[in-house]
Amino acid sequence: MKKKIQLTLNGKKTILEAPAHRLLLDLLRDEIGLTGTKEGCGTGDCGACTVFLNGKPVNSCLILSGELDGAELVTIEGLKIGPELHPIQKAFIQDGGAQCGYCTPGMLMMAKALLDENPNPTEEEIRFALSGNLCRCTGYAKIIQAVQDAAKEIRQAARR
Amino acid sequence: MAELTVVGKPVTRLDAHEKVTGEAIYGYDLVLPNMLYGKVLFSPKPHARIVRIDTEKAKRFPGVCAVITGEDAPWTHGESIKDKPFLAQGKVRYIGEPVAAVAAADEDTAQAALKLIEVEYEDLPAYLDPEEACKPGAIPIHEDFASYRKMEFIVARPGMPNVCEHFKLRTGDVGKGFRESELILEERYSVPIIQHAAMEPHSSHAQVDPKTGRVTIWVANDAPFRALHEMSEALGLPKEKIRFINPLQGGGFGSKGGLKVEPIAVALAYHTDGRPVRLKFNREETFISTLTRHETVLYIKSGVKKDGSICARQMTIFWGTGAYAEKSPTVCIRSSLPAPGPYRIAHVKVDGYAVYTNKPVAGSFRGYGIPQGAWACEQHMDELASRLGMDPLEFRLKNVFVEGDTSYWGEKLHAVGLKETMMKAAQAIEWGKKDQGSGVDPFGTLRANPEHSRGIERSKGLRTGKGLACIQKPTRTPTTSQAGVRVNSKGEMTVLAGTVEIGQGCNTILAQMAAEELKVPIDKVRMHPLDTDVIPFDASTTSSRSTYHMGNAVRRAAIDVREKIALMAAPMLEAKKEDLAFSEGKVCLKDQPEIFLTIGEVIRRKMGPDAVLRGDGSYTYEIGKDLDLETGHSEHASAFYMYATQAAEVLVDEETGRVRILRMSAAHDVGKAINPLNCVAQIEGGLAMGIGSALHEHLVLDNQGKVRNPSFLDYHLATSLDLPEMIPIIVECTEPEGPYGAKGLGEPGLAPTPAAIGNAVANALRVRIHDLPLTPERVFWAIQKGKTKPA
Ligand code: FES
Ligand code: FES
Repeated sequence: MKKKIQLTLNGKKTILEAPAHRLLLDLLRDEIGLTGTKEGCGTGDCGACTVFLNGKPVNSCLILSGELDGAELVTIEGLKIGPELHPIQKAFIQDGGAQCGYCTPGMLMMAKALLDENPNPTEEEIRFALSGNLCRCTGYAKIIQAVQDAAKEIRQAARR
Repeated sequence: MAELTVVGKPVTRLDAHEKVTGEAIYGYDLVLPNMLYGKVLFSPKPHARIVRIDTEKAKRFPGVCAVITGEDAPWTHGESIKDKPFLAQGKVRYIGEPVAAVAAADEDTAQAALKLIEVEYEDLPAYLDPEEACKPGAIPIHEDFASYRKMEFIVARPGMPNVCEHFKLRTGDVGKGFRESELILEERYSVPIIQHAAMEPHSSHAQVDPKTGRVTIWVANDAPFRALHEMSEALGLPKEKIRFINPLQGGGFGSKGGLKVEPIAVALAYHTDGRPVRLKFNREETFISTLTRHETVLYIKSGVKKDGSICARQMTIFWGTGAYAEKSPTVCIRSSLPAPGPYRIAHVKVDGYAVYTNKPVAGSFRGYGIPQGAWACEQHMDELASRLGMDPLEFRLKNVFVEGDTSYWGEKLHAVGLKETMMKAAQAIEWGKKDQGSGVDPFGTLRANPEHSRGIERSKGLRTGKGLACIQKPTRTPTTSQAGVRVNSKGEMTVLAGTVEIGQGCNTILAQMAAEELKVPIDKVRMHPLDTDVIPFDASTTSSRSTYHMGNAVRRAAIDVREKIALMAAPMLEAKKEDLAFSEGKVCLKDQPEIFLTIGEVIRRKMGPDAVLRGDGSYTYEIGKDLDLETGHSEHASAFYMYATQAAEVLVDEETGRVRILRMSAAHDVGKAINPLNCVAQIEGGLAMGIGSALHEHLVLDNQGKVRNPSFLDYHLATSLDLPEMIPIIVECTEPEGPYGAKGLGEPGLAPTPAAIGNAVANALRVRIHDLPLTPERVFWAIQKGKTKPA
């Protein structure tokens, strides 16, 4: 039974039809074709599928399409600021925060959520904020460094 | 050697941009036009005969296109033993074995149809313990083992029907060695099943062209040419009729070589009238039905003299391979061989058994058995040291392999950076400083944020300890890599290499090597996507072999192109070829660099604006021979060896048994760091995996052989909160045959980790734990036991 859903996706008004039980993750990946959001577990345990729903980071594998009417969604494809990469994306490139890259989109979204709230996090705070995002490749050291570097960059840009 | 411009530099990854923007397309992301959705029915029985399968109802379900069982796919595969059916044939051998599959218009339909398949089983006795399954007279899990197609060196052993490989190493006379010893110690160690748990689950897409019979498979497989070979042997189709296309891979760690989901996708695709099939395993299915690391039981007996020299060592190792052989025979061989450790020992005897059980299949896992061997051998070394009253570092230094030593398998060793790794790893955690932990506040920043105290509350009974462990790792030998390099008239390079970018950064370092030979800027180099129709042959992206083997091949291909450009440019510059030099994308006169042509200009003038210049390179490590089957000896068992030492400082809470690592150093001999940033990334990632396997990773099976924790909620991977300060150290002991002196690095990162931590825990508690993982519960009970019976 398909349902009409109206939402704002990465800044654009979008109208979709999808069964109410379709998971947001599958809606994005299979029906809209935005595969930047990754599936690592499908059960809310890995964070690879993190997107912003109404300004808050959520595991898109736990959200049903039926809940989405009127929602505002931002995915990894909408993280750029205009044509420019977001400072977190730049820092991940610079510091080697991505290896296989599969956890990266979720990691970036979660890191953005942290920096939106806390522009000057300690290492411990970063570790805590990212503890629900699993990475099997990096050992997290480079990811944490990238978040610190991005935070510094954002603070400096605000002062400029 | 001329000065290096890009090799040895911390170049940022070529693939980073597409990965941070979400543009990168992985196997799991792929959508093909008109595709069908596959789903698999798994065995609920560990060992049973299939009495009846009824698929009629499922076939009639609206939206279903195909329902197949083993009868529809009469094929078997396997790297060294063709023992694994595409879908169960006649019997099932583990809980999670694929029994039937459905292709339907969407996933919901496929899922619903599965429920309509009826299967009747007749239970058979199941073996869950490799030692039990190994006993003479055991009931065979594979009744037809003798008639399977298999590699020559594998033979049926009538008395031990579940042993699919028995490796023997015989050096000197261990009986004599033990008689000459002044102290003898015998212990048993064990390592549980763990899983690769790459963040991208397994999947495969397949399509069969009904007109030509050509099979196309899209899969993130780390050895596409081996997969091609295996698929061609299984289907009885010539290789030209099969094509593997590799989208990006979200991690593999050994789980995505060989054939996993591919055979089922292909079997379905034979029944869909040309429509492609997508078969994705979800996380649970990936846990129960793809691949695991061998559970291993290791017995080790050593005889030493009071001065600390090792007289003899004997090991018996059981590698639990699960229901199918997969890569177990070669895991058994290549890791039983160096299991006695990188030490000078005159009398050595090793028996390694790869044993079938009724459990999920075990196979290659980053480190290829070396971590299990090190867990036993390196803890055993500390136990010996403590009985000898020697410092563990001193005891090792007295015995370790050094340059020019002949190993106990008869190979003269070169480029042995082991001692240097040992000294540096030890130094980095202030080895020998008695007042352990001083200068390191055990809680560091935690005290400032008590709510983030990572589970350890300040309490009495905190103990600190230090420990180290080392390894020597061989690589798969002999093997071949081939590569191509193309240069266009804009001076841009494309590298064709069959090495798979699985996250390890091969694309970046191979591009660096190509750029180096032609002296073009790195941003002018691109890696060609991987497709077996186009890309030259490569053995596999395994065994830490790529930097060395593919590096050599790419280098040769680039040199081939460079020579051709020099030949073309010489008359244009009115100079002899020998008088030309390359720099910054140009070819110039050696003594007058201001006289030059860009590489692109040379190609354009000679070949026209749209032409492409090609070069080829191939590398085979020729000397490697098979081991002698009776003695395990070989003069060239490996193209090169990787050496590493890691050292840990831990804090153990005696009241809870919880182990926290305070800091951990990892010194790795890489020969030459082609990209130091990448090397550090590999070491850190390896350490994280090693720490996970030391402290909490364990795939738990119940007494029926059913996986109890097939989710990330219950299977505990290291999170950002679990990891300590990591101190990666690069040691460069040049390998003369390697490109720019490089060896390999992918696997060793996790190999000595658990043993180093185990040694540190024993140092802290004066209690030895022989089984992994070091969970709070296990540590707590060991402490209690130690209180009543001091070690
Ligand atoms: S896929 Fe959503 S949390 Fe793992
Ligand atoms: S980079 Fe591979 S899982 Fe994080």
